[in-house]
Amino acid sequence: MTNRTMTGLSIGRRTALALVLLSATSGLALAQQASLKFGLAMPLTGGQALYGNDQVKAAQWAVDEINKAGGINGKKFEMVVLDTQADPQVGIQAVNRMISVDKTPVFITAWSGVVKAVAPIANDNKIVELSVGANAPDIAKLGDYVYTTFPLADVDIRAVAAYSAKEMGKKKAAVLFINNETGIGSAEVYRDTFTKSGGQVVAYEAYDQKATDFTGPLLKIRASNPEIIHLQGLVSESPQVIAQARQLGITVPITSYSGIYNPKLIEQLGAAAEGVIATSLAPGVEDSPAVKTYVERWVKEVGRPPNGLPYTQYLYDSPYLVAAVFASLDKKGTPITGENFRKEMLTIKTFDLPLTGKVTFADDHTVNKPVYLVEVKGGKWTGKAVVNK
Amino acid sequence: MLNATVISQILWTSLATSSYFVLFALAFALVLKVNKVFNFAQAGMMTCGFYAAYVAVRVVGLPGPAGFIAALAGGAAMAFVLERFGFSVLRHRKASPMFVFIFTLVASQFITYAMTMIFGTWPTTIFASMFWPVTLVADVAVSAWDIPAILATVAVLSGLWAFLRFTRYGQFMIAVADNADLAELYGIRKDRVLMVSMLIAGLICGVGMFLYGTRAQVQPAAATELMLFAVAATILGGIGNLWGAALAAVVLGVVQNSSILFIPSAWQGFLLYAFLFFAIVLFPSGFRLPERSKALKRTVAAPVIAADGKGG
Repeated sequence: MTNRTMTGLSIGRRTALALVLLSATSGLALAQQASLKFGLAMPLTGGQALYGNDQVKAAQWAVDEINKAGGINGKKFEMVVLDTQADPQVGIQAVNRMISVDKTPVFITAWSGVVKAVAPIANDNKIVELSVGANAPDIAKLGDYVYTTFPLADVDIRAVAAYSAKEMGKKKAAVLFINNETGIGSAEVYRDTFTKSGGQVVAYEAYDQKATDFTGPLLKIRASNPEIIHLQGLVSESPQVIAQARQLGITVPITSYSGIYNPKLIEQLGAAAEGVIATSLAPGVEDSPAVKTYVERWVKEVGRPPNGLPYTQYLYDSPYLVAAVFASLDKKGTPITGENFRKEMLTIKTFDLPLTGKVTFADDHTVNKPVYLVEVKGGKWTGKAVVNK
Repeated sequence: MLNATVISQILWTSLATSSYFVLFALAFALVLKVNKVFNFAQAGMMTCGFYAAYVAVRVVGLPGPAGFIAALAGGAAMAFVLERFGFSVLRHRKASPMFVFIFTLVASQFITYAMTMIFGTWPTTIFASMFWPVTLVADVAVSAWDIPAILATVAVLSGLWAFLRFTRYGQFMIAVADNADLAELYGIRKDRVLMVSMLIAGLICGVGMFLYGTRAQVQPAAATELMLFAVAATILGGIGNLWGAALAAVVLGVVQNSSILFIPSAWQGFLLYAFLFFAIVLFPSGFRLPERSKALKRTVAAPVIAADGKGG
């Protein structure tokens, strides 16, 4: 009796244990089925981590908000984050891991070198790669599974050149550019667009990549008496070029691109920054209440605005785009694979995103977005115009 | 475009901006002359000098003079580390000059990467503002940075000249530079002299990077690029000729900047390499005046031996 009781008890315990295990396993399976994952490969360490970490934080905020609002059709939305160090080799390892271990049907990455390096992996495995922030023109030609949500190079250069000639009424422009691939290419785009818009380029000067003084080219530009100067340099030397231009008595407006759109420029140049015009590919605080709230959240929670604000805006928006495609596939009961994700994303085609507005995927793998022009006025960046293509 | 104002402006700005190049060339030439090392790790000394000043001024919030002292300390500290744990160890292990040269390249990259990990790649300056007010002197823009930079460079040059000429250690340095083994026979402690030479080079790098970092933005890899100019000036000035290297740095700066009057500005960098190429091929010993330099050497070397002989 005792034995039987004991045996009965023993069987009961085993059954209970088995039931617990079964329910735990099935619960886990349900949880696994219920969660919809995407990958995010960004520099979390190394020289670019300053930007990478802020971009990841922005994306994480978006994922948390989507989950707080009920997830994707009630299912949990998950983000798998891996470090690329902005290094193509490390990026390849990260993306391989995402595909083989985490099995995400789509991943987001940035930095042109990494975007290009991991493209063959995305194409071979039929996994969608979304480039968010890199702007090399050849990103549009990396294969069927590589798309960008960020406008590629030259969009803003064309906008600022056309605006200078047509809206600001400038007839004579000087172009000063760094003598490298990006500088030469963008300077040509500016020259051609400005000329086509009715203006005349009166000086076209390059400076060496290792130059530490810009007096010579600036004196040549001063002698050509332009009404506006377009500077196509790097963030490292552009403030010094502007400083030297002002020191040499050049007072005409200076335009440049998104690289110099930074509060640090005003700090470095003081009054010499007045009249400098930069571009941004995302709306600023003055253009959108949502962006204002977003920046206020950064200041409140992190104690400062994000590094590279426009890029973090794109990163904040990208989980919303992925979630919209997941939701559509899930609703239709279509298996969530890379192939189906791509088809569905192209079917939806236009997405209305919280911080950067509408984005439409064009057939040539590019996107069109308005260009925001900002100007230093009264010691701060202020909105000047919005240029639509 | 070619008028007196433009030419004067180019000449003046070239002279002012050559100040830091003179200092980098001087530090490089000094270590080459005394320690017999092509010290590409000087880029590390320069980087440490800059970031020490940056931390002192921008992070801790100390005033400019404290930043200047920090730059000197940073440059000298890295020079000490390189000599004590690098060159000295390699000397005692009788490493070949080629191996020492490779060590300097590796050390330079190591320091660059370490600084990148700490400070990132975002370029920065020692002071928050990099804009210096300008005064027009006969239509030539003279910035508030120019004259102090030129004066600081002249002070360093004079100080080094006086140190080498009138101090005991300065004369020991010349003796070691002349013949290290013979100097040791006379009782000069070679290791100590080589350390002093490195420390002076570190201090000079600190001054140079303080000047550079108050005018332009710096990121960890910047010093490696600035080094090229120092190497070019040292070769053009005559290897082992300190004052020749300093003079070559000024001439190179002026010629490179003035070239804008005759060639497209994009070719300015090319000009530096062209100069280097022809200088190495045509004047492998630099543009020195042999008779005069020998005479100078004799007048300096004689009291060194005498002084040391007395000191035992």
